[in-house]
Amino acid sequence: MAYVKWTFIILFWTFVAAFLHYTLPQQDIARITDTYEKRVDPGENSLFWAQADVGSDGTVPNRDVFFIQTRLSNDRVMVYRNEDTGWGWPPYFKFDTSNLQAETADLRSTADAPQWVVIKHYGWRLELISIFPNAISVRPVEGPDVQLIPWLNIFILTFLVATTWAIWVRWRRFRENRIDPALESVGDSVDDGRSWLRGLFSR
Amino acid sequence: MLALARLLIIGFVVLTVVYVSLSLYSRSVRRAKLESEWNDLGGEGDKETFVREGLEEYDGSLRRKLILGVYIVPFCLMILIIYLTNYN
Repeated sequence: MAYVKWTFIILFWTFVAAFLHYTLPQQDIARITDTYEKRVDPGENSLFWAQADVGSDGTVPNRDVFFIQTRLSNDRVMVYRNEDTGWGWPPYFKFDTSNLQAETADLRSTADAPQWVVIKHYGWRLELISIFPNAISVRPVEGPDVQLIPWLNIFILTFLVATTWAIWVRWRRFRENRIDPALESVGDSVDDGRSWLRGLFSR
Repeated sequence: MLALARLLIIGFVVLTVVYVSLSLYSRSVRRAKLESEWNDLGGEGDKETFVREGLEEYDGSLRRKLILGVYIVPFCLMILIIYLTNYN
């Protein structure tokens, strides 16, 4: 029974961690090598694609999506998609996809004369199911070694932990004061009834 | 506009659940405080009346109206995020 319990607990927390890792913003230092757009037909991976640009017809099955090709500061390549999140999840409220594409196209550079940028994004690059992180914003930086402190994530995670803890403590106190005594009294009366029954039949 | 309507409706429902829970919790905390205050005062007068008057005073207080921040804060946050993401 303990194994089952721990399996569920571990699964639950893995899911929570994966959800946060996917949804919270992350910053990559990269050099933009090119930008392009390509038609996509989201299928099994449609969960990891956003919807059509806000205001346009969202019912057609396929559409064009902007992409940003980069080389990261650790010398690996990374491709980002650039899509509106609109009014949906995750709540970045991004409507300026085309503007962002214009900015990234402007910041393109070569290996000889690199222009380093910080790309804020959420999501994962998983080659196996063709999903791409969604770029949120881009800003030029001095070089590939700048130190980035994720203040926003520190704040959000602290807030989440504090809220969860506050609710948890109050729930536990409530259970100890109200529910446990009630259950105990139910258990006591069940015991009483049992011994009364037993007494009835032992005669 | 359909997506915006969906967001506002779902947001309103979720925040209403939070608002109602928080109101009930805050009121019960206030009630417990009033009861222990009455006990500390040495139990003068009727406990029920003391607690009821205290709660009526709480109903009109600023502290109770602050719970409306449950609606206001996320809405302002949304406006702020829209500004920061798109116009900054």
